[in-house]
Amino acid sequence: MDRIPILKLGHSLLVTIQVDMHDRLAMALEEDLTQKIVSSGAKGVLIDISALEIVDSFIGRTLANIAGVSRMLDADTVVVGMRPAVAITLVELGLSLPGVRTALNAERGMALISRRVAEADRDGAADAPDVHGDE
Amino acid sequence: MTWPLIALAIEREEDVVIARQRARRLAQLLGHDTQDQSRIATAVSEIARNAVVYAGGGRVEFSIETVDGVQSLCIRVADRGPGIADLDAVLEGRHQSASGMGIGILGTRRLMDSFQIESSRQGGTVVRFSKRLPRGRTIRREDLGAIAATLTAEGTPDTLAETREQNRELLASLSELRTRQDDLARLNLELEDTNRGVVALYAELDQRAEELRRASELKSRFLSDMSHEFRTPLNSILALSRLLLDRTDGELAPEQERQVGYILRSAQNLTDLVNDLLDIAKVEAGKVELQPRAFTVAELFGALRGVLKPLQTSDAVELVFHDIGHTAPLFTDEGKVSQILRNLVSNALKFTEAGSVQVTAHHDAATRRYTFAVRDTGIGITPEDQERIFSEFVQVENRLQAKVKGTGLGLSLSRRLAELLGGELTVQSEPGQGSTFSLTIPDRLPGTGPVPVDPAPRRGNGPRILVVDDEDASRYVLRQFASTYPGAEVIEAVDGTEGLRRAREDRPDLVLLDLRLPGLDGFEVLRRLGEDEATRPIPVLICTSSVLEAPDYRRLDRATGILPKASLSRDQVLSALAAALRAGENAP
Repeated sequence: MDRIPILKLGHSLLVTIQVDMHDRLAMALEEDLTQKIVSSGAKGVLIDISALEIVDSFIGRTLANIAGVSRMLDADTVVVGMRPAVAITLVELGLSLPGVRTALNAERGMALISRRVAEADRDGAADAPDVHGDE
Repeated sequence: MTWPLIALAIEREEDVVIARQRARRLAQLLGHDTQDQSRIATAVSEIARNAVVYAGGGRVEFSIETVDGVQSLCIRVADRGPGIADLDAVLEGRHQSASGMGIGILGTRRLMDSFQIESSRQGGTVVRFSKRLPRGRTIRREDLGAIAATLTAEGTPDTLAETREQNRELLASLSELRTRQDDLARLNLELEDTNRGVVALYAELDQRAEELRRASELKSRFLSDMSHEFRTPLNSILALSRLLLDRTDGELAPEQERQVGYILRSAQNLTDLVNDLLDIAKVEAGKVELQPRAFTVAELFGALRGVLKPLQTSDAVELVFHDIGHTAPLFTDEGKVSQILRNLVSNALKFTEAGSVQVTAHHDAATRRYTFAVRDTGIGITPEDQERIFSEFVQVENRLQAKVKGTGLGLSLSRRLAELLGGELTVQSEPGQGSTFSLTIPDRLPGTGPVPVDPAPRRGNGPRILVVDDEDASRYVLRQFASTYPGAEVIEAVDGTEGLRRAREDRPDLVLLDLRLPGLDGFEVLRRLGEDEATRPIPVLICTSSVLEAPDYRRLDRATGILPKASLSRDQVLSALAAALRAGENAP
């Protein structure tokens, strides 16, 4: 089966969805991302959906799931490049994507993640004496 | 008014993707803006997914509906599933979905202009929803063709389905292949097992054969050793008995003489038995060496006659050797042939009370085999016993058995010897009618090559003269004339082929050659004699009744002389012989 490629970029994972995903593909992406976050210790996940013309409730729910799971694994998810029509449709559909942070494009998304990583480092440095082996 | 556009079957998740993409493209073609395209596609995706997930598949149909002059893109999704159990709850938003956050149907209703849903346990679920075409946009019936064509050209749901079908078939054949492969593997395994069994069996058989061979070898060696051991004391007994009988140590009382005579006879019997045993052991051990040489049936019978005469104890039985006249000589082990025939004749004499024992020989020129037959008029042998008598130590019960001595080894040994000579020993018999034992052997011992090494031994010190003539009368006359030559030995051949062979094998000092011969004629024989290194020096006298012409003389250049048969006289032959023989001696 096809897989959506996941790229590691510094502290982040970069996912660019370029095909219209069927449900299983979307679920596979969720699993792959979860594992990759654990194995790479990424602090952020950037999902670029600029190529998607349709985001229905299932894909929306998958994105929300990804965001929820990665937050559990200490990584922020940012969905970037959502088309206006898709955004409107999602709202009309009644899907608000709770817990999913969004950015207009990939650049802003990366900035968002970098800032968050920097904050975490600062906090981590301050707490360092109390914390063992969290890397 | 409804104009159908396209219809799709949805069975799998991938079909949902295709359906929403077709919906989006169709909306685009119908003039919907991007936002509406997204709405329509999303709505189709939601409802189609429900059909796949909850009903296991269904059908999506797109059409243009015109109601009161307003045109809409109408989508109908039908499935044959179990229906929606709590439709009202779903529509009121109380339902919690496992897949789409429970907003699929409600969301779709919001996205579209109209939305109807019917659900029943029997008929499945049918969802119809529509979106008005953009303002100012009218689709005419003629446009439908173009739209359908565009969709068909772009989308290939059918091709996809076809590919899927092919894939399914491929998978099916693959699994079938795997099954076959498994079957084959299993069969192979079974065969390997069988094979292992066979191999083990073979090994066992080999072992058995080896054991048998060793046992047989041991027996032969035992026989051979024991026989040798027996012979030494036996010879002493024989010698001492003879000494006593010869009165070397003084006179014997008549009773003593008789007793010593019995001792001597018993010892002789025992010696015979031991000798036979030794022979059998030798044959079995393959230690018998054959000494082939050339001899004739007449010579063989002559020698046998002398040896066997003493065995003929009763006048009531006549022992006859039938002379078969001149035949091709044998080249084999004369001693062994003689031993077999001695055995057969002595047996025949033992079991014949009255009548005759006849020994004949016959040469089959075609198969080049001699058959010697010993026919008696004795008590005969029952069919059951006919094979048994060839086994070792077997003696058939009959009223004469008690009277005659024997070891039960003679026929067994004879048969083995016959096989050794490349032949066979068989019996034909009927109780009361007598028996015929037949020894059939090749006239030339197999494996001795075409030309024997030794020529037949010379009888006298005179010349050996070969007469080659097919007519008995001519041969007789020539033999009569030639044998008056001092010391001459005359041998004969009845045709050209035999003449050549005898010339090569028996090395005559002179050849008397007839010209008219069956097969090879005299001219040809003369030519071939000249070609062979061995026969070239032999002088040849042509002896013919033909009238010779000039060309004939040229062909007879090589001949030493020519004797016309018409005017044959003893003196003439003798002087010609003398001249030719002298010429032969002087030849290089």
